[in-house]
Order: sequence, then C-alpha cells, then structure tokens
Amino acid sequence: MVNAMENAYILCISIAHTKGKKGEILMRKLLATSLIAALALSVVGCSQSGGSQPSSSGGGAAGGTPSIGVAIYKFDDTFMTGVRNAISKAAEGKAQVDIVDSQNAQPTQNDKVDLFINKKVSALAINPVDRTAAGVIIDKAKQANIPVVFFNREPMPEDMTKWDKVYYVGAKAEESGTISGQLLVDYWKANPDADKNKDGVLQYVMLKGEPGHQDAELRTKFSVKAIEDAGIKVEKVAEDTAMWDRVKGQEKMAAFLAASGDKIEAVLANNDDMALGAIEALKASGYFTNGKYMPVVGVDATAPALKELEAGTLLGTVLNDANNQGKATLEIAAVLAKGEVPSKDNTGFEIVDGKYVWVPYKKITKENMDEAK
Amino acid sequence: MNQPALKQVQGFVTQNAIYIVLVVLIAGIALYDTNFLSFTTLRDILMQSSTRAIIALGAAFVLITGGTDLSSGRVVGLTAVISASMLQTQDYGRRFFPDLPDLPLLVPILIAILAGLLVGLINGIVVSRFSVPPFIATLGTMVMVYGINSLYFDMEPNQSQPIGGLRPDFNHLGTGYFGPSGPYSVPYIVVIAIAIAGLVWVVFNKTRLGKNMYAIGGNMQAAIVSGINVRWNLMIIYAIAGALYGLGGVLEAARTGGATNNYGNMYELDAIAACVVGGVSTSGGIGTVQGVLAGVLIFGVINYGLTFIGVSPYWQLIIKGLIIVAAVAFDIRKYLVKK
Repeated sequence: MVNAMENAYILCISIAHTKGKKGEILMRKLLATSLIAALALSVVGCSQSGGSQPSSSGGGAAGGTPSIGVAIYKFDDTFMTGVRNAISKAAEGKAQVDIVDSQNAQPTQNDKVDLFINKKVSALAINPVDRTAAGVIIDKAKQANIPVVFFNREPMPEDMTKWDKVYYVGAKAEESGTISGQLLVDYWKANPDADKNKDGVLQYVMLKGEPGHQDAELRTKFSVKAIEDAGIKVEKVAEDTAMWDRVKGQEKMAAFLAASGDKIEAVLANNDDMALGAIEALKASGYFTNGKYMPVVGVDATAPALKELEAGTLLGTVLNDANNQGKATLEIAAVLAKGEVPSKDNTGFEIVDGKYVWVPYKKITKENMDEAK
Repeated sequence: MNQPALKQVQGFVTQNAIYIVLVVLIAGIALYDTNFLSFTTLRDILMQSSTRAIIALGAAFVLITGGTDLSSGRVVGLTAVISASMLQTQDYGRRFFPDLPDLPLLVPILIAILAGLLVGLINGIVVSRFSVPPFIATLGTMVMVYGINSLYFDMEPNQSQPIGGLRPDFNHLGTGYFGPSGPYSVPYIVVIAIAIAGLVWVVFNKTRLGKNMYAIGGNMQAAIVSGINVRWNLMIIYAIAGALYGLGGVLEAARTGGATNNYGNMYELDAIAACVVGGVSTSGGIGTVQGVLAGVLIFGVINYGLTFIGVSPYWQLIIKGLIIVAAVAFDIRKYLVKK
C-alpha cells in the first residue's frame, strides 16, 4: 500500500515537471486521470486485504453471522467512540458490523441508511444526529423490513410506536442527577461533621450547565430531589450557570465563596469540568489542606476527574456507561438480525415496554474508580 | 496507430477526462463487489446527489464569473430551518409556531427560497457595488447567516431544539417517487434536480445573462468595455445562486424530515469542490452544466461506493482531497497553456 502511494506520488511529481508540447500535455492528462483511479483503487484494495475495517460486502445472513449496519452521529466524540469500540468488541463472533460516520449531519446519516438497506444488512443500529429525524429512518427501515435499534439519542415517543421492530438503548438523563445527589447523601450520612453549622440542613451551591440544555435542567432538578428523597433538608445558598466550563466553574465558585464562604456545605456540579473548576477555587481559599474539606460532586467520570478522585478532592462522579450501551445495542441488533424477538434471556438486558433498554449510570467514588478507566 | 487517430483519442480523453474518471471509479468499485451494480445503487446515488447538484449549480454561476461563494452551506441551513419551521403537523408536541395554521405547501417553500435569494442579492450588492472581494464578502455573509439562523432557531418556544414532526406532504416531496416502489422508482428530488439542471443549462447557453456571465469571468475589463452592465449582472447571478441554495436547503429538510441550524455545514466546500472537479475554472470564464453534474456524481460515487465496499471514512477523505487537488492542478495548467 505504501508502495502504491509512493509510486503515485512520484508519478504525480514527474508529470508536473515534464515540459512539452500540446500533444504531450494531453498525454499527461491521460496519465494523471488513470493515476487518480489507480490511487483510489489501491486504497480500496488495501483496506479490503488489510481487513482492519469490518466489512460485510457479502450482505445478508447467508455467511453464518448476520450483518449489522451501524451509524454513529460522529466519530470524533469521545463518549461515542467508547460506545463504538464496545459495539465492535461485542460483535466478535456474533455479527459482522459495518460502522460508518454520519459526520454530525442528518442528511449524511440518511444516505448511510439507504446504503445499508441496499447492502441488505439484517439489522440497523443508529445513533441519530437529530432525534426528531428518526421518523424518516424508521419509515425507510420498515419499508425494507430491516429492524432498527436506536441508541444514545432517544427518538420521539410517537416515532418509536411507528413499528414493532424499533428499539432504543440509552440512559435516563435524570438518573445522572439522582446518582450525584445520592453521592452527597452517602457522605452526609457517614460524616456527622458534614453539617458544619449543625442546623440539620444541607446548604449547597449548584453549578449548572448551559441554560435550557436538557441534561443541565434534569441533573439540577434530580440531584436535589435525590437528597430530599433521602429525608435530608436542603437549602440552596447559590446557583449559577458555568456553561459546562472549567474556567467559568472556577470563577463562579470563587464568587460563591466570597459571598457565602463558610455557609456552604456541599458543591453540586452538572459536569466534571465545572466540578474541577470549583475544586481549584476551593483550593485557592484554603480547602483540602489542614483538614478543611468540602464535598464536590460532578458527572461524566472524565480522566481528569478520576485524578481528582484519587487525590481525594472530588467526592464522586457519575459514569455514563459506554460499554454497556454498546453491548446492549449490539446484542439486541444481533437477536433482531436473526429474526428473533429480543428478551432478557437472549440479550442479557431487561427490555421495558417491549422496546426500551435503560442502561444505568454508575456511581463512581475513589473505591470503585477502576470501573471508569 | 497513426498520428491523426492518436490525436483524436487524446482529444477525446482530454475533453472527457472527468467522465472517464467517473466510469473508472464505478468499474473499480464494481470489481470489488459486483453487488454494487444495481438499480438501487443508481437510484440511491442519484437521490443523494440531487440536492448537492442544485447547490453546486448555484456555486457554478458564481465561480464562472470569477467569484467564490462561501455562503451556500449556511444558506442551506437557513432555508432548511425556515421551511421546516412552517411545515410542522398540527398535532406535533413542540411546534415552532404553535398557532400557525396549515399553509399551502408552496408558501413556506417560496419564503425559504426568497430568503436564500435575499442573501445572494446581498452578496451580489456587496461584491459589485462595494468592490469587496467575493471570498471576503461571502465569508461575511456565511458567518452572519449562521448567526441569524441560530437566533431564529433559538426563538421561543423552540429554544434550539431540532425541528421535527414535518408534514407528510412536505416529507413526501423529499422521499416520494414516481413509479413502483423499489429500485426502479424515480424519486421526485431527482426529477427536480434534472429540471433545475435543464433550466441552468438554458441560462448558461441560451440567454444574454449566460453570455455575460462567461464574459465577466473571462475578462472583466473587456466585459465592461464592451458595454456589459457588470454590476447588474453580478447582482442577478449571486441572487440566482442564493435561490438555488435555498431550494437545496428546502429539499434537505424535506428529505430528512427535520432541520437544525447545523444543516448545510461545510456544503459550500463540497459544492466548490464538485464544480472544480467538473472543470469549472477557479479563475472564471469556463464551466459547463454537464461538468458540474459529473463532478457532483464523482463525489456521490465516492461517498456511496467506498462506504459500500467498506473503505474507512478516513481514507475516503484522503481520496477526496487528492481528487480535488489533482483537478485544480490540471485546471491551472490549462490556463497556463493558453497564455
């Protein structure tokens, strides 16, 4: 392959440097035209023989394992890359997966779906770019009678009911909020000193993500609700948006500390970046040294957050379980591809309302942080 | 082979290089997987190339005058959102305009196309009246149009949610077809694209505007001297281009059954690339409708065919890039030879 590329390159240069009359120019054109084609074909040949890309050009279930067409909303998304790898891993020996990049454009994704239908895959696994566009994809799949599993971005309920061979695998956004609240509940119950002013009320500050963002609203609401549900009274000292951003998290936290200081007993952040920003601000005002402590919780279990967990500055975070989302997607698609009806017995995942699989978020603390690595 | 015959072959190859690349590409892909050769494949590629072709034809107008238009992608996004926002079903939960009655299908479509035309007109005015280089003028509108679209998209009660629940008749325009269902069907959008291509061909070849367009691109000074109203012609040309992007955006929304402000992102570069590969000169004055269509189809075949046989998306990008650079390298040589 490298050879072919090199040859092509040398040829290109030699063509560019040849001087000549008109006839020769025409000749050069002919040469380079075939060069482009040769180049394209050599690349094609490489990836075919290399076999690094799982391909199902045979199509159908004829060759033993069924083929599954997978479209990811975009390849350069860290979380979805985790899901993608989990799908490939779970597919080993079970199905031929053909994973394509929708480049964060719904029209591109629709094109890929048409392609999969033409290739007669046995099942589709789609991570929609826009959740509202799932309806059209379902229509296409239904017409070709190819079952479809959506994952990570939930289609509208009215679209989900369009056909019985439509499934969804994902996490419940509110659960990430609930679990981050529970992290504080655990801490509060285990440490009587957590109630710094001994009034029996948990005084907290909230660092919110982008206003109006579904995750931000749900996490804010359900984290507080989880604390209240555990029978703990809460008082909101301050709440502000830090736009998911570490720097803004630090600035807002510094402002909270300046305004309310010792009154604050806990920090809730909608994501890890803001939690890490808050930790920086807390460090700057003397926390995490000489026994001065403040519980901070985030969501996402990012690598930098795990480092803070290890250092003992971050109390806990919440992991969106990419591995199990990928695994559940593949298991359900593989069962559907065989023409069977997915159930807990043949997929290993509980199926709710006949078409939903809810992959739980995981509570991550210093004790179990290896699960998030 | 004797000399004249060889010359003839060479001449044929030069004239038709682009079509030969297209055939070789298809043949190459088919060699790896014979399943590729089917009517379904043909229909899919034509369908996927339809909106791209309309947008590329718009870009061709501007390129032939010696200009560039970077605003096309964002205009596609704007008109996709505008048309979708006015064409939602009454029972949809999150309507963009909660109290809007069902409008005749054509009304929102025309509003959207007019919006595209307006952006084009502004481009034309800025380029021809204020003598701003087209690259900069359209860079400015590209950024502004995205801003305007995002503001519109973020309005209450939508607040930047993807626009869904589009009316079945609108959706049908993008996904419906003539004839029996399956591989032998002819999708409406393919017919629309062919009709537009026919119209553009007439404008390019049979109208004064077309002749002026080639003249302006060939040599602007000569065009001015020979009495062509360059400003006026440029304004019209940019406006037509804008309207074509507008139609492209409407069809993208209809085809996917939804729209967001991110629709059309980077389409401007795809459109320019297709034109250039199809033989439109970046220095203006040269370009044909057939060439542009072939350019669009080459990228259509690459997108579809290479995915079909399982080439990694990263390799596809490398191949696309090489083809673009190779095509322009030729274009420039052609130009140098003429001098």
